[in-house]
Amino acid sequence: MSPAPENGPAETAGWKQRLWAYLSDRVGLDAMLALGVKKRVPIHRTTVFYFLGGMALFLFIVQIVSGVLLSLYYKPSPDQAFESVQAIMSEVKFGWLIRSVHSWGANLVIGVLFLHLLTTYMMRAYRRPREFTWVTGLLLLALFMALGFSGYLLPWNQLSYAATNVGTKLVGVVPVVGEYLLKIARGGENVTGDTLSRFYALHVAIFPLLALALMGAHLYLVQKQGMSVPPRVAESHGGEDKVPSMSFVPDFLLRDAVGWYLALGILAALAALFPWELGEKADPFASTEIGTKPEWYFLFMFQLLKQLPGTIMDLEWLEGEMVGVLFFGAVGSIVLLVPFLDRGDRSRRALNFFAGVSVIFFIVMTAWGWFDELPLQIILGTSLLLAVLALADRFLQRGTPSRRALGVAAVLTVLVLIAAIIRELTR
Amino acid sequence: MRTLPGILLAITLFAVPPALVAAEGEPPPEEEESKCITCHTDTELWEGEQLHLLVTEKQMAELAEDVHWKKGLRCHDCHGGDPTSFRTGDAHAEEAGFRMMEAPGDVPDFCGHCHADIAVMKRYNPSPRTDQVVEYWTSGHGQAMKKNPEDADVAQCVSCHGHHGIRAVDDLKSPVFPTHLAETCAKCHSDESRMKGREYNGKELSHDQYELWRKSVHARMLLEKGDLSAPTCNDCHGNHGAVPPDVDSVANACGTCHVKVGELFAGTKMRHRFEEVKLPGCATCHNHHDIQHPTDEMLGMEADGVCGRCHQEGDPKYGATLTGAEAARKMRRGLDDLDAMIEEAKRNLKKAEELGMGVQKPRFELKKASDALTNARSLVHGFALKPMEEVLDEGLQVATVQNETALERIGEYHFRRVWLALSLVPILLVVGLLLLYIRRRPIPGR
Repeated sequence: MSPAPENGPAETAGWKQRLWAYLSDRVGLDAMLALGVKKRVPIHRTTVFYFLGGMALFLFIVQIVSGVLLSLYYKPSPDQAFESVQAIMSEVKFGWLIRSVHSWGANLVIGVLFLHLLTTYMMRAYRRPREFTWVTGLLLLALFMALGFSGYLLPWNQLSYAATNVGTKLVGVVPVVGEYLLKIARGGENVTGDTLSRFYALHVAIFPLLALALMGAHLYLVQKQGMSVPPRVAESHGGEDKVPSMSFVPDFLLRDAVGWYLALGILAALAALFPWELGEKADPFASTEIGTKPEWYFLFMFQLLKQLPGTIMDLEWLEGEMVGVLFFGAVGSIVLLVPFLDRGDRSRRALNFFAGVSVIFFIVMTAWGWFDELPLQIILGTSLLLAVLALADRFLQRGTPSRRALGVAAVLTVLVLIAAIIRELTR
Repeated sequence: MRTLPGILLAITLFAVPPALVAAEGEPPPEEEESKCITCHTDTELWEGEQLHLLVTEKQMAELAEDVHWKKGLRCHDCHGGDPTSFRTGDAHAEEAGFRMMEAPGDVPDFCGHCHADIAVMKRYNPSPRTDQVVEYWTSGHGQAMKKNPEDADVAQCVSCHGHHGIRAVDDLKSPVFPTHLAETCAKCHSDESRMKGREYNGKELSHDQYELWRKSVHARMLLEKGDLSAPTCNDCHGNHGAVPPDVDSVANACGTCHVKVGELFAGTKMRHRFEEVKLPGCATCHNHHDIQHPTDEMLGMEADGVCGRCHQEGDPKYGATLTGAEAARKMRRGLDDLDAMIEEAKRNLKKAEELGMGVQKPRFELKKASDALTNARSLVHGFALKPMEEVLDEGLQVATVQNETALERIGEYHFRRVWLALSLVPILLVVGLLLLYIRRRPIPGR
């Protein structure tokens, strides 16, 4: 594999070989390459999901590069933030491109991380000894959502101002420490220039540093524990060792590169077809527009909190929002502790039920919050459900009751989808 | 105001002693040295023709709010007499300075006793007005009063300011505060029976002024938007010297606020012609009392255009010319063109802004076109086409350039989309080549 010269004295080798030899002597390229070649990636029906981690990493790199470029022109003050983003969009060469890529990249990386989480769960890749890989991965997802939330305020437009107002308000309903958390989050009682400075520091320094540290730990653990093989695949081949595999370098890396390029293509297409708009400058005295919504990855929380009454069962101390926040806290804790809760068939069934309900809840709430009209909500909801069913399909064996149930669910979903499309077209 | 006893009662009520005032809104407390109130609040003393001299509890409550009372003035400060005496003769003796009012026509001079005396008024205000009484006698009201001092239907001081519960003019509850003034005037001027047969300068007075004014842009600004600078009756007619503006002074009345338009109109031949044919200046086109927000539709020869009222083809009035008609048409066309171009530029700038394109500078520049439009609308009142066309051309040029800039920004937005879409081609090409390479490369050991 090594491109280092195999025959003849070094003096007669070409410049590439000489450069390789130079670097190998100094930074150990040969050792790194040997590690990459030695590392094996299992080949089975769900190998494709291994690419999601690499795709997320690639998008994170895109975010860092585009974010650094934006920071050259962005000015984090209420008087200048909106105008500086406006200048980036209109006066800075290719500023509009960088901003659009950064905004869409943020959404894509969170989308890919959601899929990565879901497929990792389906592969049961969190099993011993990979518990901490799961925990670091989930913390990374939370951190990227926090990055998205903090970055959303930076353009200082009406939408971002309203979303931050509502989002930070939720922190305030946490029992006992809510009031302090709210002040810490906002840098005061209200969303002001202090909040903007705070969010900027979080977005460009604190969260990225934490993300790099967590990502280092996550990748180290992946490297240390190797790629997980789904239990059923291992069983069918008579053990994990007997599952066919490919080397990380160059076979998996080449396939990973396809994933990266596809991510880049999707990013370019989104930036081309739906450039990120700027809206109107934030006005703290303006009333919040009806229909103001957060980013899609917070929509499921927003929609539930919107439905909750002011107080539960007329008990003044039992505020609806507080119950909602605690509910999501509890769900998040369960997801974080999945590796430790999966202790046998019974608990696994309970976890699978919990996961199924959670995914359906996420889909229903997101579709409900995204559109106002029922047919459109159904179209989006059923489409997302079909995508999840298609994912799940790859993990189920043919002829099993689960697979048959999934087939029936898919058919029913398609029928509902068709009915909703017809309803929408004939409206 | 309607009857003499009513007026006498009102004036007499000044005799309520200050001691009865404890605090705002409460009846004034009795003062030992002022005996006026002792008798004038005794219900058993007053009956029949003298009943109007009784001070009721309601009137005492009003007195507590009176600006004079609050300044420390007491009954005898206005009415004279001896407030320390219980003896009717002594208390109301002419030697003690007691002042009688025998007719409504006596009221202005009664109030003027202090209000026309600068030495007295200076105690309360370093630069007081003391010309109200003089002004009053020049007003339509004053002139009517001179003719018949017994006429209780003619307005004098108390008709507008009230009797004893007189409030300062800047008091929100004062009947002459800007937001209440028109209603106060309307009490008489909207009363058909009172106005019947009354005339000024040989012209019969109508009784629909308030009703008309209430529909005007001025009333809307004053009463609905709370703009105290919007005119009410006194701003055009005067306060104490209220008279209807003469034909040749209408433009001056309007020009008090509409300064630029007033100056433009004053310098035109049209103004002199209006005066010659007795047309009331601004009111000829804009009406009086029910003045509406002027629109561009008022200009020109079309249905809503006021120019066509005189510059009629085939039947011109007051010597109006067809050249004027043509000028009006051109002016209107110019305003419409500039207005349309500004609106188009605004629409496109908003669209570009919503697409994330920077429009601050063109939007700032576009304000110059809007200013030109406002300026041109004012210049209509100079009735000269050329200066107006110069301003319109300048505005149109600015608006056109900014509209083009907006369209360029929108075009650039679309260009970016195409450019980005094209970038997909090399990306997909690399993906294709990678896939081909992967397919041709078998995985060892599989």
